Amino acid sequence: MGLHLAITSDIFVQQLINALIIGSFYALIALGYTMVYGIIKLLNFAHGDLFMVGAYIGFTVLGKVTGTGGSLVGVIIAFIIAMIVTGFLGMGMERVAYRPLLKAPRLSILITAVGMSLVLENGVFAGFGAKPQIMPVTLPTNGFTLLGANITYSQIGIIVLSALLMWGLHAFIHRSIYGKAMRAIAIDQTACSLMGINVNKVISLTFFVGSFLAAAAGMMNATYYGNITFMMGFTFGLKAFTAAVIGGIGNIPGAMLGGLTLGILETIGTYTIGSEWKDVFAFIILIFLLVVKPTGILGEKVTERM
Amino acid sequence: MKKVLKRVGIGTAILSMAFLSACGSAPTGSSSGGSGGTAGGDILVGLQFPLSGNEAKMGEDMKNAAQLAADEINSAGGINGKKIKLIAEDDASDPQTATAAANKLVSEGVTAVVGGYSSGATIPATGVYHQNGIPMVVTAANSQKISDQKFPEIFMINGTTVHQAEVATDYMLNKNHGKKIAIIHDNSGYAKDLAERTKAAVEAAGGQVVVFDAVNPDESDFSALISKLKQAKPDATYWTAYYKAGGAFIKQFKQQGVSGIIGVGDGSNDKTLIDIAGKSAAEGTFVTTSPTAEFLPEAKKFVEEYKAKYKQDPGPYSALEYDGIKVLADSIKRAGSTDKAAIVKALQSTDLKTLSSQVSFNSEGTLKKSNFIVLQVKNGTFALPQ
Repeated sequence: MGLHLAITSDIFVQQLINALIIGSFYALIALGYTMVYGIIKLLNFAHGDLFMVGAYIGFTVLGKVTGTGGSLVGVIIAFIIAMIVTGFLGMGMERVAYRPLLKAPRLSILITAVGMSLVLENGVFAGFGAKPQIMPVTLPTNGFTLLGANITYSQIGIIVLSALLMWGLHAFIHRSIYGKAMRAIAIDQTACSLMGINVNKVISLTFFVGSFLAAAAGMMNATYYGNITFMMGFTFGLKAFTAAVIGGIGNIPGAMLGGLTLGILETIGTYTIGSEWKDVFAFIILIFLLVVKPTGILGEKVTERM
Repeated sequence: MKKVLKRVGIGTAILSMAFLSACGSAPTGSSSGGSGGTAGGDILVGLQFPLSGNEAKMGEDMKNAAQLAADEINSAGGINGKKIKLIAEDDASDPQTATAAANKLVSEGVTAVVGGYSSGATIPATGVYHQNGIPMVVTAANSQKISDQKFPEIFMINGTTVHQAEVATDYMLNKNHGKKIAIIHDNSGYAKDLAERTKAAVEAAGGQVVVFDAVNPDESDFSALISKLKQAKPDATYWTAYYKAGGAFIKQFKQQGVSGIIGVGDGSNDKTLIDIAGKSAAEGTFVTTSPTAEFLPEAKKFVEEYKAKYKQDPGPYSALEYDGIKVLADSIKRAGSTDKAAIVKALQSTDLKTLSSQVSFNSEGTLKKSNFIVLQVKNGTFALPQ
């Protein structure tokens, strides 16, 4: 806009933090998409709404506990309750809406997922209304200056917590027996059931973990930005899905990488060609990437099992 | 053959419509005795706004204010010896209902109409009044599109986006002594229009627009854009979109410590803006808004009377509705009759001091001088700046 914007160290650090924050949210949601896709080849379009439901559960709990406990303790309690309740909600969703259709054509279950998304959005709308809800406690905005960039402790906290959750998930998938079962089911479901693995139970657990992470992102998002609406999961869900595809859908490190990549792409887009074009910029890169490498950054070509 | 049949069909439809409308207007025409709207020696004035649906509260406020103005005029002897009689019709903020309401007012033989809350409902209604030569004072609706229709009978006493841009520019450049201005909208019709008109006004006044950009209102993170703003070091940033994203924007704006002041357009004039931004981040934010009774020094008496009579606050548009009735009454008085063309002519030469401003119209039927006011967030509420 008639003004030369040189990239100096302060703007670089500031924008990097911006990208990491938004990228962390995308990555945490993308993990749920990619885990579910990896295990039952379902694009769970209701996943973004679990992120929203997590925020609303946290909001409700916070409203109840902030009266008594200290605010930080209250936030932690709300975080944990939101994550666990949303985790069970995800399991319930799988049991009610997806499991009966596992043997049906993929299109049927995809439609059910869209239906579940509408149920969650409109359920919250019916309960809380369309008005944005203001979080009773928001993360502190004090912080420090690094190379001329304003960074808050909350931002550092979000990035660290997201990284910890992702590291925890990675360890769970690779070290635990359930993680091993998940990976096995992703490769061959029938063989797994023949080996005595309780496939339904593991799928259930996958939904729990995915929803748990989405709720963590939802709570961090809500306390960071300070307000929530019943449609907040829509845009984030779509972006997270994009992130999962960028990283290679079905691939867990890919989802993390995809989330961060999308966050960085959007930030670059906003900075260079303007905020209103950032989505266009990000999607152009996505299309370009899919033309060159259809499986995403870390995706591998897997032979069709059916 | 098919074509002929189609024509016959259309012809029949037009004929039957003409017949129906003739039937509809005939009885009222005879009862009011020719000269429109003077039934029983009273001057009939139509009111049109939402009295049902989500916006019903606004219509109710406006109806009360109009009644207050009419009572005042009548108790002072009326206009040229005749009393004002108000007829309110519900437009439900809906274009179709508004058209029906306008037709109903026409068939009831009103001399003039005062009202119009949502622009979407007001635009088709003004078409009906225009066809019947009925003067209308539009009080709350403020879309530029109303005046773009160039209907000579329609006068707007609420400022349009042009007026708002003017006031915002004056505040940022003159009152705040700024030069570098950033303008952010959300690509919605209204916000973009206001942003573009503000940009033009800023540049015409010798200011420099350093950032002009749009956000996606469904998103909650504007940090990348705000970092860009921070680097451009604006003296003032003007947000023309709505309060939900606006609150989040202000919060992140303050968190990154961008230079200069921040202000919002009337789309963000809602208490929720302050709640979302947080009280401390919102402090000092300026708001350009239509003249609201509680902030008008001239309207003190009106507010007291309104509260005494209706046991509630006047609401955002009641002062303008009150002014609308006064502007119309002034014109009828000067016209010396209830002849509609004479009233239109008198409205054009209006120069009346009202609660909100000195009202006079330019050739487009909009205000010559902006009546937008600037408020500022102080201790978590909107207040007049000192």
